[in-house]
Amino acid sequence: MIDIQGLKKQYKSTVVLDIPELFIPKSECFGLVGNNGAGKTTLFRIILDLVRATEGNVRIDEEDVSQTENWKWKVGAYLDEHMLLSYLTPDEYFEALRKIYRLSEDDLKLHLARFEELFNGEILGKKKYIRDLSKGNLKKVGIAAAMMGNPEVVMLDEPFENLDPSSQNRLKRLVLHEKENSQVTFLISSHDLNHVTDICDRIVLLEKGNVIKDIKEKAIMVDELNAYFGT
Amino acid sequence: MVLQLIRLELLKSMRSTSFAKSALVAIFLAFLAIVLLAYVLLLGIVLKDVLEKVLESQDAYATLSGGLIYFFLFEFMYRYFTQQLPVIEMERFLHLPISKSKIIHFLLGRSFISPLTLIVPLLFGPFAIREVLPRFGDVAAISWIASVILTSWSLHWLMLWFKQKFEDSLMGIGIVFAVLLLGAGSNYLGWYNLGEILRPVFDWSLTSPLPVLIMLGVFVGMYQLAFMYYRSNAYLEDLTEEENIRFVNQELGFLSRFGLAGEFANLEWKLIIRHKKPRTYLMLAGFFLLYGLIFYTNPQYKTEEGFNHLFVFVGSFITGIFMLQYGQLFLSWNSANFDFFLQKREGVEALVMGKYLLFVVVSVLCLLASIPYAYFGWDILLIHVAAFFFNMGVVMHMVVYLSLWKPKPMDLNKGAMFNYEGVGIAQFLMIIPMMVAPYAIYLPFALIFSQYIGLVAMAIAGMAGIIAFKPLSKLSVKRVLNNRYEISSSFRQEI
Repeated sequence: MIDIQGLKKQYKSTVVLDIPELFIPKSECFGLVGNNGAGKTTLFRIILDLVRATEGNVRIDEEDVSQTENWKWKVGAYLDEHMLLSYLTPDEYFEALRKIYRLSEDDLKLHLARFEELFNGEILGKKKYIRDLSKGNLKKVGIAAAMMGNPEVVMLDEPFENLDPSSQNRLKRLVLHEKENSQVTFLISSHDLNHVTDICDRIVLLEKGNVIKDIKEKAIMVDELNAYFGT
Repeated sequence: MVLQLIRLELLKSMRSTSFAKSALVAIFLAFLAIVLLAYVLLLGIVLKDVLEKVLESQDAYATLSGGLIYFFLFEFMYRYFTQQLPVIEMERFLHLPISKSKIIHFLLGRSFISPLTLIVPLLFGPFAIREVLPRFGDVAAISWIASVILTSWSLHWLMLWFKQKFEDSLMGIGIVFAVLLLGAGSNYLGWYNLGEILRPVFDWSLTSPLPVLIMLGVFVGMYQLAFMYYRSNAYLEDLTEEENIRFVNQELGFLSRFGLAGEFANLEWKLIIRHKKPRTYLMLAGFFLLYGLIFYTNPQYKTEEGFNHLFVFVGSFITGIFMLQYGQLFLSWNSANFDFFLQKREGVEALVMGKYLLFVVVSVLCLLASIPYAYFGWDILLIHVAAFFFNMGVVMHMVVYLSLWKPKPMDLNKGAMFNYEGVGIAQFLMIIPMMVAPYAIYLPFALIFSQYIGLVAMAIAGMAGIIAFKPLSKLSVKRVLNNRYEISSSFRQEI
């Protein structure tokens, strides 16, 4: 699904990301962990072609992301507020996305119904602009938007941050459900080791831009990570 | 403590990224402020002569005193549009162990340090020396100028209170219009002479110190008014105004017919009416429709045959002002959510096309709204139509192309006046080709053949541009796509 070859990102002389090779197969739940400044968000941004790679490239289904645009149909993402239209209400925002993704109104209803539990009645039908929402609700809107249009890949940066404990669990269930039913590939970065090891089949640990651990066995994940982070 | 606050303020402006990046713009603005103030001083020095020679007044003092109230009404207007509210700064101090009163005194005091404060002393100070002093004596001159200055400075505090209380509400706009009408209506319609009503107050100040004391009281009172209001509203929830969502919910439904670009044009429309800065730009486009009244009715610009060459400029302004102003900051408007468009397939194309669409729609509306100018002669309608085509075909592409030179992020919720966020050198230099372009086409034909041929040439050049719309707009889209990494990373920075 996603194939990274010889990827390097350099700001002047500092290398912030250096990944010789990384392949993420379809329907894998890929977890990305690492300390602050390890390059998690930069990697996501390069995959989404928001930041230029200094060397190497990212391919999604054999398409080089910096050359074409067709892959954008297959990828949904929520990294930060820059990806929202904060001057709309959530309803208007989903409506705008519906038109962009050419969905029918019923499609949208079905889609939002899946998030009913996560939204907890606080998002839809409220006369409030996205910019006035609380951080947690902002995140929920972003996550729901990222999963719109039946994407094959969903990328979420710190999805559990700012969510209340019950919302965190609901989100986890939602991700597992999507993975099971629609074969969606998830890329999730997180500082919450418990959540990320719960839902992900594979964890990659970044340190100063390098992949230092690539763990695919659920059994040893938690121990290895705890050993690294000293928790 | 206050020193500490001042130090923090200085650091903030020194270290803001926009300062470092646009130091040139800052220098230019400071230079501009000095030049403007110098002009005000110059006008102040010759004010006596202007009144006597140009207005053929026998008694310069009497004329001025009679007109002072109009000046203050005018001051009310320019203060309303340009004065900045200091509250935005308050947020970052409120949680600290500094008393609220101290913070507010500091912020109010800081707002007083502004070129606006100097306008009245510079304008009327020299007049007091040249006219009032010789005629009424030095005590009278001091007393007179003091009461005039105190009136102006009272307006400063009044405006701080007024803007915070009524800004963006219909009430506030209503009051501003009432003030406008009060000034304009009184003399034209001859109901009453406003000037004569307040004149005795200033005359009185020549003979008695009482008016100065009264104005001092008003000055202190206004400060108290502003202070009390800010003091009792020094909460985060009060600082950020709740907007009334009903007023700003309209859609331009017909735009949806133009596909994805139309959808984005619709979103852009919502962006415009839901943020302060673009809303002001839209309102200005409305005001500029009246711009023609100044020129077309002025006998000074009447010519024996044909029309004044200057009208071409007026025409292109009236039909294209929104495009010129809004287009200047083409992508900066979307700086807060540029990643959204990048991440959508064909999102950037649709964004750029949507903007083109919006420019065309607003320009057509401006053209239609300006049809009544035909009352001043059919020539004017012809000028407007020619200018419209030229704007659509040539100027629009120039604006967009130039504005894509290093776009900068900006905060859409700050006011529009004297807010130079997002403005770079490009935006300043841009205005030159915008003004020159219509004349570059029009003038040669107008001088060699006739003015109407000149207009036809403009229209034809515009049509050519409209026909070549596809390749030309592709050029802009390509430019955005090629620079997408730089643009999106600069937009992600803190302002």
